[in-house]
Amino acid sequence: MLMPRKPPKGFRKPHHPKRAGKAKGGTRVVFGEFGIQALEPAYVTNRQIEAARIAMTRHIKRGGKVWITIFPDQALTKKPAETRMGSGKGSPEWWVANVKPGRVMFELSFPNEAVAREALTRAIHKLPMKCRIVKREVGEV
Amino acid sequence: MSEVRISAEPRTEFGKGGARRTRRAGKVPAVLYGHGEKPKHIALPARDFANALRHGGSNTLFSIELADGTKTLALPKALQRDPIKDTIDHVDLLIVRRGEKVSVEVAVHVTGEVAKEADGLVVQELDTLAVLVEATHVPEQFEVSIEGLGVGDHVTAGQITLPAGAELVTDPENIVVAIVAAPTAAQVDADLGEGETAEAPAEAAPAEAEKVEA
Repeated sequence: MLMPRKPPKGFRKPHHPKRAGKAKGGTRVVFGEFGIQALEPAYVTNRQIEAARIAMTRHIKRGGKVWITIFPDQALTKKPAETRMGSGKGSPEWWVANVKPGRVMFELSFPNEAVAREALTRAIHKLPMKCRIVKREVGEV
Repeated sequence: MSEVRISAEPRTEFGKGGARRTRRAGKVPAVLYGHGEKPKHIALPARDFANALRHGGSNTLFSIELADGTKTLALPKALQRDPIKDTIDHVDLLIVRRGEKVSVEVAVHVTGEVAKEADGLVVQELDTLAVLVEATHVPEQFEVSIEGLGVGDHVTAGQITLPAGAELVTDPENIVVAIVAAPTAAQVDADLGEGETAEAPAEAAPAEAEKVEA
């Protein structure tokens, strides 16, 4: 499961990351031929990333390559059930990637476009926000 | 490449408010600079500009007709796009002169198919190549043929045929397209298995429980 190898340098239990705004970078397909672009902000957990990757890989079987262009580097905490308020912040429960609209999260290279689109659609079903499939464009500034 | 004529209006208001008003009026805020001239803030018709880029590529040469009647040749240097709507938010235009050589990024287009028996996967490492060419003769794209290539073969930047007068700026040793072996069925199974087993320990390890206050 994707998560930082070392403990975070800053705080172990940070505030929730900001979800406002649009993606500033990583908005174009650069590695593969097709990609999944987020249309809404969301926290994507490492399990969702893994589920999407498996759904995609399982559909294309072989002859393709998958790139994951987001990383779940933000810890989200949760207080245990039936706990009273106070006594400090809860413990880290999830590792998430703070995805903003426009961000390309997965890329895929596969010779058959129809199969590639179906694989990406299956991956989109595992993700917590509205997404669209984007195609690499040649020669952008 | 022939130049595209486009008329520009001078911009009088700046900042995000002014820029948004310009965009709402169907124009693209732009800045025109180069050759030691003072930057000029202009607005271009959004529809015509986007059409020119769509048909002529990102290195389309523009002949910009300013309000005072002067004409300036310019190349798009940087484009800011909206990631969702894909509209152009702002353009940097670099003033060029006829006969002058400029460094531009030219798109690479891969053609052909790998040898059928090779069972390889085409990985395009470079999307564009930086070349030094005459501003009025910028090629739209470079064609790279991968016809008949097998696994392990690659095409480097130095192997691409450039038009006369063009010089390669990108390192000629850089790989543009590589043919890599497609993962075998066993590798795919191992990859999928790894993902499924990795989920198990996460489920087994619940978050550390905190004491309930009495």
